Amino acid sequence: MSTALDRPAAPGSPRPTARPRVTARVVLARRLLAVAIVVLPVLWALHRSFSGGTAVVNTGGLRLLADLGASVLDPALAPDFLARVADAALVTVVFAALGTAGALVIGAAGGLVLSDIAWSRRPAPWLRGVRLVLRGALVAIRSIHEVIWALLFVSVLGLDPLVAVLAIALPFGAQTAKVFSETLDGVPHGSLLALRHAGARPGPALAYGLLPGATPLLLSYSFYRFECAIRSAVLLGVVGIGGLGQELVVSLQSRNWDEVWTLIGAVLVLSALVDAWSSRIRADVSVASCSDWSAGDAARATRPSPWARWSLALLPLVLVASWIASGVSLAGLTSARTRDLTVSLLEDMLPPELPPGGVPELSGAVLDTVAMAVLAMVLAVGITLLVAPWATRPWSTRGGTGPAGGGVAAGAVRRVLWIGSRLLLLVLRSVPPPVWAVVALLALFPGVLPGAVALGLYTGGILGRLVAEAWESLDRRSLEALLHAGVRRPVAAAAALTPASTHHLVTFTLYRFEICVRDTAVVGVVGAAGLGRLLTENLVAFRFPVVATVLVASFGVSLASEVLGRRLRAALRGTQAAPRAG
Amino acid sequence: MSPGAPVVRLRGAGRTFGATAALQDTDLTVHAGERVALLGASGAGKSTLLSLLNGSLRATSGTVEVLGQEMTGLASGRLRALQRRIGTVQQGLDLIEQVRVVHNVNAGRLGHWSTPRALSTFLWPRESSEAQRALDRVGLDWALFERTERLSGGERQRVAIARLLVQRPELVLADEPVSSLDPTRAAEILRLLHEPEEARALVVSLHQPELARRHCTRAVGLRAGRVVFDVAADQIDESLLTELYELT
Repeated sequence: MSTALDRPAAPGSPRPTARPRVTARVVLARRLLAVAIVVLPVLWALHRSFSGGTAVVNTGGLRLLADLGASVLDPALAPDFLARVADAALVTVVFAALGTAGALVIGAAGGLVLSDIAWSRRPAPWLRGVRLVLRGALVAIRSIHEVIWALLFVSVLGLDPLVAVLAIALPFGAQTAKVFSETLDGVPHGSLLALRHAGARPGPALAYGLLPGATPLLLSYSFYRFECAIRSAVLLGVVGIGGLGQELVVSLQSRNWDEVWTLIGAVLVLSALVDAWSSRIRADVSVASCSDWSAGDAARATRPSPWARWSLALLPLVLVASWIASGVSLAGLTSARTRDLTVSLLEDMLPPELPPGGVPELSGAVLDTVAMAVLAMVLAVGITLLVAPWATRPWSTRGGTGPAGGGVAAGAVRRVLWIGSRLLLLVLRSVPPPVWAVVALLALFPGVLPGAVALGLYTGGILGRLVAEAWESLDRRSLEALLHAGVRRPVAAAAALTPASTHHLVTFTLYRFEICVRDTAVVGVVGAAGLGRLLTENLVAFRFPVVATVLVASFGVSLASEVLGRRLRAALRGTQAAPRAG
Repeated sequence: MSPGAPVVRLRGAGRTFGATAALQDTDLTVHAGERVALLGASGAGKSTLLSLLNGSLRATSGTVEVLGQEMTGLASGRLRALQRRIGTVQQGLDLIEQVRVVHNVNAGRLGHWSTPRALSTFLWPRESSEAQRALDRVGLDWALFERTERLSGGERQRVAIARLLVQRPELVLADEPVSSLDPTRAAEILRLLHEPEEARALVVSLHQPELARRHCTRAVGLRAGRVVFDVAADQIDESLLTELYELT
């Protein structure tokens, strides 16, 4: 067979010679390595959680689980209970609003200090030192979970509502500072530099040159934080400072199943409302993403709708009202008693000590934590693969010029599946993981597994939504190209869309794995295994030197998983991507 | 199909989108061996015409006959079989980003393979020697296992052409394949476009009349969805072009 391919290459075709050639062997090795990176930890984690030789499933508890399931149609609706639920919901909202407000104050200050663009000159050496320390402190602060912060604050402040506010404000503030500084550095700087070159003072130059461009993004992120704060506020109830989470755990532990369902319903309604409100505002406020700006579309960036404007105007009122309603007083922050207790807590914690079981207990808890996170991700990815394909918007999958596929009935079925799967994902991510853990502990004996199940269900809800939304916005031109070349639709879809879909799934999975490692603390609080449980046990027993050690260990594990995750994601992206033309 | 039959025959072909007529009442016959340049301002109907020819759009009036088959009423299986014999090149933007180049080149054969075989090839590439030869032809001999997203714009364009080479189409359609390239690279790409041996004809939309003069045998001018001239490529002159690009 002689085709055009057999002819020698055209002379003069450009041929970059310096480029290292990637061979089939290298690709094969990388693929095997990738498989090993996924499979080996999973096998190890499975081995660790099943090899104890003890029973895993608590058959006695299965009946309780059945009871719980049976009462789904019979939620508690007594007026006085509903009033309690409404109270708890209000408390939760107040915690979230005040916590977010605190986080934004920390985030704005920290973001300005940490961003490079806010400084018109290269900062002095001492200032750079301060920034480095601040950056490190913020990493440490956000690597500790809200629940752990809450436990620590409880031991200083007692069961004060201030605990919830602080426990949200600190880690969220650290995260917000990082995002704000990156946002400020990321928006185009042309107008700011022009103002500076024209001799404007630093403050006004920032206000006129940078804020108009950055505000929509900052606002958008703030509302996103509020969404997260609602979930956190529910969660924090677990340590006993009030709100829906506390009611949920109390009802679960006293086995009032009908109340559990009412409370879950309340959590769902609250999250759905806040999600809808916040994503509506985010869509309005920030029409333009960073890429729109670089494409010169900044004119579209800020035109808040009446909806967004009203919300922004009402926000201060809501904040003040919630402050008054919650009875949160800042007095606790500055009182002499707090100062003394903080000092004595710090003194108690130093020098750190190993837990009673010594190094084996500590390293066992570390390994349990990692195994739990790995298994949770397996479950979460499984949920995502099963549910996310249905959770993509039905009308987006049909774009393009191919046959429309299916009749009206098929379209209706697809729509019902879409709503159902979105709802399922909402339930999974709205019920806080400790609640899932308490449920899992009904059917499973304490250990790695119930924690992994709880975290996996919760993470599955989040991962499924992220992945579904990424899949909705896949670039379909490569699919169209294959269809035009006469490739059958299923084959073309598999060939053209699988690579990008897989890429999104893997990237989000790695990203959520980092968060999952940190979240293991949460399920530890209610008695699953790992560092969270070790921490809680020792806090309750007032062994503060051990608490210090466990905190350091948690920090180390979070940091290690973050570094590892970043490495893997960079390797996936391909670190020295060539600049693209066209 | 008899050897003398035209590769493309449009009779009174038109396409409307709602109330807008993108292409109206177009007659066009392309014979084997011809290289036809489509010229015209943006929105003149060049892309619509190419889409009618590769079957991604159906004509709303008239008939579209490609490689001896009437396209308008074709069942989807028959249409696919016909489309396998037509190669379409965009600006290299329709490649699959996250895979190795070899997969993007092999995608040209995807329509010819059975479903299990087509799917298995994405786990590990088949017939990579053929892909390698195609890449040799376009000057990307080093790129077989390179990640597609790491290539530059010009290199991606070449990968798209390598895909075309392994598809071995009988008709090549290209929609502004060189609009983002410098003159040397543009000339090289156009040369490669009539490279496939089975290709009996090339229809390419261009923005530069000079390239049409140099690389094509025939030039068709479109304006507001209608053919305004249809001449041998060396007869393109200023008066024709003024008429074509004049603002209304």
